[in-house]
Amino acid sequence: MSRFAEQLERFFYDPQEALPPGLELPEPRVQPSARQAPPDERLCFRLENEWYALPVSLVREVSRVAPLTEVPRAPASLLGVMNLRGEVLPVYDLKLRLRLATRPAPIAGPRADRTGLPRSARVIILRSPRGDAAVLVDAVQDVVRLMPAEVEPPPRGTAERDGIVGLGRRGDRLWILLDPEAVLG
Amino acid sequence: MSDRGRERSEFLAESAEILETLGRDLLVLDEGRGGELDPELLNGIFRGAHSLKGLAGMFGEDRLATLAHAAEDLLDHLRLGKVEASDPVVDSLVEVVDVLQALLAEASREETTGALGSRATGLAARLRGLTQATAPAQVDLLDQLDLDPATRKVFTEYEEHRLRENLRKGMSLYRVRAEFDLSDFDVGLAKLNGQLKPLGEVISTLPSQRPGDETGIAFDLIYGTRRPERELLAALEGTPATAERLGRLEPAALAPEPPAAPVGKTPKKPRRAKGAKPLPPAPAVSNVTALPSSNGAAPARADSEASLRSLTETVRVDIRRLDSLMNAVGELLLIKGNLQRLAESAGHSSAIGPSRAWSQELTRESRALERKLEEVQEGLLGARMVPLGQVFEKLARLVRRLARDAGKELELVLSGGEVELDKLIVEELSDPLMHTIRNAIDHGIEAPEVREAQGKPRKGRISLRAVQRGNRVLLEVSDDGAGINEERVREVAVQRGLLTADEARELPTREAQNLIFTPGFSTARSISELSGRGVGLDVVKTNIASLSGLIDVHSERGNGTTFEITLPVTLAIVRALVVGAEGRTYAIPLSGVLEILSLSASEVRTVERRELLPVRGRTLPLVRLAPLFGHGPGTTGPLFALVLGLAQERIALVVDQLHGQQDIVVKPLGGRLSHIRGISGATDLGNRQTVLVLDVGALIEDSVAPEWKAEAL
Amino acid sequence: MGFKVLIVEDSKASRDFIAAAVEAVAGVRAISTHSGFEALKLLPRHKFDLIITDINMPDINGLELINFVKKNPNYRRTPLFIITTEGREQDRERGLALGAVEYLVKPFEPQSLEGLLRRYLGL
Repeated sequence: MSRFAEQLERFFYDPQEALPPGLELPEPRVQPSARQAPPDERLCFRLENEWYALPVSLVREVSRVAPLTEVPRAPASLLGVMNLRGEVLPVYDLKLRLRLATRPAPIAGPRADRTGLPRSARVIILRSPRGDAAVLVDAVQDVVRLMPAEVEPPPRGTAERDGIVGLGRRGDRLWILLDPEAVLG
Repeated sequence: MSDRGRERSEFLAESAEILETLGRDLLVLDEGRGGELDPELLNGIFRGAHSLKGLAGMFGEDRLATLAHAAEDLLDHLRLGKVEASDPVVDSLVEVVDVLQALLAEASREETTGALGSRATGLAARLRGLTQATAPAQVDLLDQLDLDPATRKVFTEYEEHRLRENLRKGMSLYRVRAEFDLSDFDVGLAKLNGQLKPLGEVISTLPSQRPGDETGIAFDLIYGTRRPERELLAALEGTPATAERLGRLEPAALAPEPPAAPVGKTPKKPRRAKGAKPLPPAPAVSNVTALPSSNGAAPARADSEASLRSLTETVRVDIRRLDSLMNAVGELLLIKGNLQRLAESAGHSSAIGPSRAWSQELTRESRALERKLEEVQEGLLGARMVPLGQVFEKLARLVRRLARDAGKELELVLSGGEVELDKLIVEELSDPLMHTIRNAIDHGIEAPEVREAQGKPRKGRISLRAVQRGNRVLLEVSDDGAGINEERVREVAVQRGLLTADEARELPTREAQNLIFTPGFSTARSISELSGRGVGLDVVKTNIASLSGLIDVHSERGNGTTFEITLPVTLAIVRALVVGAEGRTYAIPLSGVLEILSLSASEVRTVERRELLPVRGRTLPLVRLAPLFGHGPGTTGPLFALVLGLAQERIALVVDQLHGQQDIVVKPLGGRLSHIRGISGATDLGNRQTVLVLDVGALIEDSVAPEWKAEAL
Repeated sequence: MGFKVLIVEDSKASRDFIAAAVEAVAGVRAISTHSGFEALKLLPRHKFDLIITDINMPDINGLELINFVKKNPNYRRTPLFIITTEGREQDRERGLALGAVEYLVKPFEPQSLEGLLRRYLGL
């Protein structure tokens, strides 16, 4: 049966395969109560050695990195498009946007090389009024609820790294808080 | 979508639907000019304007609301008999629908243009002017009807008017009473209406319930008819209804009055004292119960049932829902493909009996799945189909008006209104068709006198014909007018610098005629009143091309012109050619591929470093896909040139490989990527790899620079 | 326990608009229908605390519905609002004479309907 292994794996491959254990996306809060400011709920993920966080309310889902198709005449940070249950979604390279890298990850097209992609790599699919889009990250960690006291304004000198709206700090953990619209450009 | 957005899109959808019905009904009214007005039709039109006004008001669309209001008032006067259906009244009502449609279109794009605004304001003022002209008041015949005041109190103004009209025409009025079970009274009532309507008019339906009776319900139908009582009784046979005739208090007043009697000339009948206790209905009526009659042929009742039920048998579905279902089916087909492959390789790789049997079983089942999925796919495509008749009706109205405005006499002959096309295509089609027809009216059909002088009938003839040919629909717009003035076309082409004088002389007739589709080419001398701007045939061509369609023209001087438009039946599934360029795969809709040639380097010419390819006497711009998309130079091995064409333009597109043909479901790339030139969407070929679909129109447009156009012609 | 409001209006967009305004009042549930006939069927099956009806409808008119409702002992005291449009004064007057307590002229602000609901439901 081993000769079918690859086919079976492909057949049963599911881009929406179970998320890493322990990660449960809470229901987004539709109507935050005006009386008590809700904690800032954010999905944390890793890029290189830095930890970042995006608002959970704007995360549609987290998926494995499906095969990507290059899009000609598109900006470099667009890695390509992926097919999510019949929907075509653009996938952006966050590292390029945040200037953690100078070249896009070479994971689309005929010379795609996915060896540089860590096993933990995922795409986070974000809701956006201009059309939903996905970003590639090295790993997804968990969801944190940041209280207002745990949030600081962005440090000076980060202006060139667009989309950073602040820092979250709890004990020795630090998250760079991102504004998804700015990050997607 | 937000709640607000959803509410708004429902508002737009409902308004469009109301307008469509309004247009259809007004067409009937328009055609029946001068005859007796059908009260039900008129009331339907009134209700449409009324609903639209209310809707528009709620959604803050003031321009729509104001115009609908003015129309509603005029229609109200019309149905209440206060205004006559004169030509100016009917003309302006017909115009109202056009303007409302234009306003709705602007509302859906969230824009407001001044030109349309002032047209709407002017029209509303005209409607109000027409509403002022009231017909003389009449003696209130209703006062003569023996009807208890409690009943009279629940009539709307309109119902009272219908009662008066029935009295004026000498109809007999009845109260038809029937009891039903509460659970299914609507069915019984529909049946009863079906028996009554062919013989007269159901003016009002009054429900009543006996105290304590929670399961039954009674209805009094106030009914007017000219037929003798026994016919009514025969019609009621088999229904639970009884009828009683409503008497008149002053039988002498029954003589039909001269229509529009001037006020004062008819002596006013003594009114019944307001305070007087009404008589119970019984004494003044002859109470009759439906009896079995000897020749009781029951009139068709199925009709009426259908008419009431039809309200619930159709549903309105957002086309995006159908799209997502179509996507789901596409996904299922892919899964099925994987299953089939699994089954096949299991069969090949194993000589063991059980495994082989298992593989055969799996193959059989996946075939069955495939057939069912194809059925579902077909069903979904069918659900998107609407008859072209919808557009035809709009055009018929428009043609009448345009012809009047242009001072031309013509008849419009329509055929093939039953041919069905994808809803999206039908919607996009009305503009280009309208411009083509307008072109025929403005430039094709001659003035009546000119036609007579040439021995043609005074009345011009424009025909619009639709025929289905396999997966395509052929639409023909032809006129029996003057035909294209080919010499004038050549002259203009030279004036516009499109051709040199020599080229113009040598251009074959067919190609000369096709020059009228060139952007900026227009022999029109007047700006169109209709759209407020001159729209050339180049725009028509672009519109048709964006629907993956083609347009062509044939004309004979003196005998008329025919435009031929070919369209795909649906945009959702297209046949595509799958090609490769530097290792990438792309799909090209086959509707845009005219020819596939194998290319040898020696055939390619170069002019000012632009590559050209001669194909059968025509020199086409040559575009290489791989470098165009920045994928590198492309392979050096054997290449293929695809002749791409949309409307009149042709280019040769060079690709490295041909992978074959396939039916594909084109999915949009979404807002973020929609600006990328040359890509119209994406599709899935069944190997999990998303493949981009080329936008043939854009590729052609980008490669056919103006200076190449003359060359291409 | 919440209040139940019946909305009778043949235009879907209007109906949804009114339903949204009604449900904006906490503790109130809207049950809406597109026709007088359907309303006749719904009335005995529920206990509505308030009824809102359009006048111009294709099967039975709103006045007939008001008349019918007001004759039913279960609904004799149920407040009833008319939704009407400008220029239909006679119909409106008749509706009020038949027992409707308020009328709203389209287009109206959702807030004005909310205010009336609160008043008649004692909220």
